[in-house]
Amino acid sequence: MSLIAHGLVGRSDLPIPEWLFGWGAAMVLVVSFVALALLWPQPKLQREHWRALPGGLGRALASRAVELICGALGVFLLGMVIWSGLRGTQSPTANFAPTFIYVIFWLGLVAVSVLFGDVFRAFNPWRAVGWACAWLARTVSRAELPKPLDYPRQLGNWPAVAGIFAFAVMELVVSDGDEPHNLAVATMVYSAATFIAMALYGVEAWIERGEAFSVYFNLFSRLSPFETRDHVVGLRRPLSGLAALKPVAGTVALLAVVIGSVTFDGAAEGPLWTGIAPDIVNFFDDLGLSTQRAFEVTFLVGLTATILLIHGFYRLGTIGARSVGGGFSALQLARAFVHTLVPIALAYVAAHYFTLLLFQGQAFWALISDPLGNGSDLFGTADRQVDYAVIGANATWYWQVGFVVGGHVLALTLAHDRALALYEDTKLAVRSQYWMLAVMVGFTSLALWLLSQANG
Amino acid sequence: MSSAAKAGLLIGAIAIAVVAFLVARPADDDGDRRAAQITPSEPQDQGSDQAEPSAPPPPATTRIRIRDGAVVGGAPDIKVDKGETVRIVISADAADELHLHGYDITREAEADRPARFRFEADLEGAFEIESHTAEDAGKDPLVARLLVGPS
Repeated sequence: MSLIAHGLVGRSDLPIPEWLFGWGAAMVLVVSFVALALLWPQPKLQREHWRALPGGLGRALASRAVELICGALGVFLLGMVIWSGLRGTQSPTANFAPTFIYVIFWLGLVAVSVLFGDVFRAFNPWRAVGWACAWLARTVSRAELPKPLDYPRQLGNWPAVAGIFAFAVMELVVSDGDEPHNLAVATMVYSAATFIAMALYGVEAWIERGEAFSVYFNLFSRLSPFETRDHVVGLRRPLSGLAALKPVAGTVALLAVVIGSVTFDGAAEGPLWTGIAPDIVNFFDDLGLSTQRAFEVTFLVGLTATILLIHGFYRLGTIGARSVGGGFSALQLARAFVHTLVPIALAYVAAHYFTLLLFQGQAFWALISDPLGNGSDLFGTADRQVDYAVIGANATWYWQVGFVVGGHVLALTLAHDRALALYEDTKLAVRSQYWMLAVMVGFTSLALWLLSQANG
Repeated sequence: MSSAAKAGLLIGAIAIAVVAFLVARPADDDGDRRAAQITPSEPQDQGSDQAEPSAPPPPATTRIRIRDGAVVGGAPDIKVDKGETVRIVISADAADELHLHGYDITREAEADRPARFRFEADLEGAFEIESHTAEDAGKDPLVARLLVGPS
């Protein structure tokens, strides 16, 4: 069901060896206790200290012209995906759409966001089309457009949660979720829904809270020191972008979906899931579903259960943190610390998928020259091959464990700083920390365990 | 805690991490450990229909049988180290096309003529061998997984 079954994964990762698993787990504990002793006694990350890039560079990078070019490129690529999905070969590896959506867009933009900030905002094709439509309507009617509806507060990030969950279902559950035609149709349905929502609530309001990929990539971009304000690119203090995240309804659920779907993808090939999955399949088979449907429903159950478990585990930690006192509700605490899950989510995504990006990402060059898989060679790069030797097994393992331990350190630092800012009493702050520390050690151990599984 | 104590603690922690890493990591195993690993792992290579007089030690051969579109005994994991020669013989009761991902090697099998793979494992990682016949029939296409560890 996963991408491995779809042939987009030519080479997958070997499970990390036992000694490295042990070393990684030990490091998590060492790092945690050292951090508790070393980290600063006053909050430091709650202000961003944003400064524009020097010499007019910040202004030039975010200028109208650059934004226009990026937006046009985004719209072009969206069109490429739909066109190649509908008109091209239906072999997933020979068509532009599957590799572009699942690898270049979904994984590549995470890397770009972490390094360079919220780049997707500029390339976002839906935003570009939304603004173009607004501009066109204003020009034609020669009047101001009616004001959009107020974005309902209780809606929060929930549309984004639904969007990211739907994407995970397409990727991990639907057995034809890699077929170019299905991907093109899904892209068109999502685009239509996005345009309707933008028309109702306004382009920027929807981009900021509802549009799934904007919200998703924006979360990761908060790890980057780069941030654009009022059409100027500037630098902020590292990690302060995450501390500035304003959680709304659904933000906690969104991170649970992100971490949960990576966890399920990792566990789905391991012995735990392959042991119980056949029983669930048989159960749905007996209910009268076809074998393929039974498989899909089984994977949907597994994916949903994993997300709920991840969500429940985090909420359990915040209930524990509430018990130390301070007068906060568990929900308040869950939201106050949700930004600490972003580096953990990044660690999960990076450790599981960075080799897929490294290998299948290379296929972009061949596919952009032959998007339909019909033998064309638009840019002379159609016969570029994927070089699977760019990274060895040892280096892969070290990077994977490095991502997990690094994510743990960042999460710990953020939680420490937030606790200091949240609790007036430093003693309470420290005691609440133990609960968050337990949550993080749990997530990190799970990540290491998943890496040590014999995945396919 | 004074800043000197903090610096000391940090340096101490890093030192522990590095030492633990170096101690835990297995020594470079292109010496005797590998030689010891290879020898016992090829007992079933006696069906020598293709005797190779040269090339000592003879590479292990993995034999896989496909019956009614399914792998007899389930898809095996074939574990080798980088640089070793891999030999896989897949016999099927119907015509089949077998594809090893990553290495991108495709071999045909007929009912009376098994598919033979023989190549040097020069790429590390996990790679799948798939049956295109099973894939086209909507069945689980996995025939075997090749796990190439670092040498």
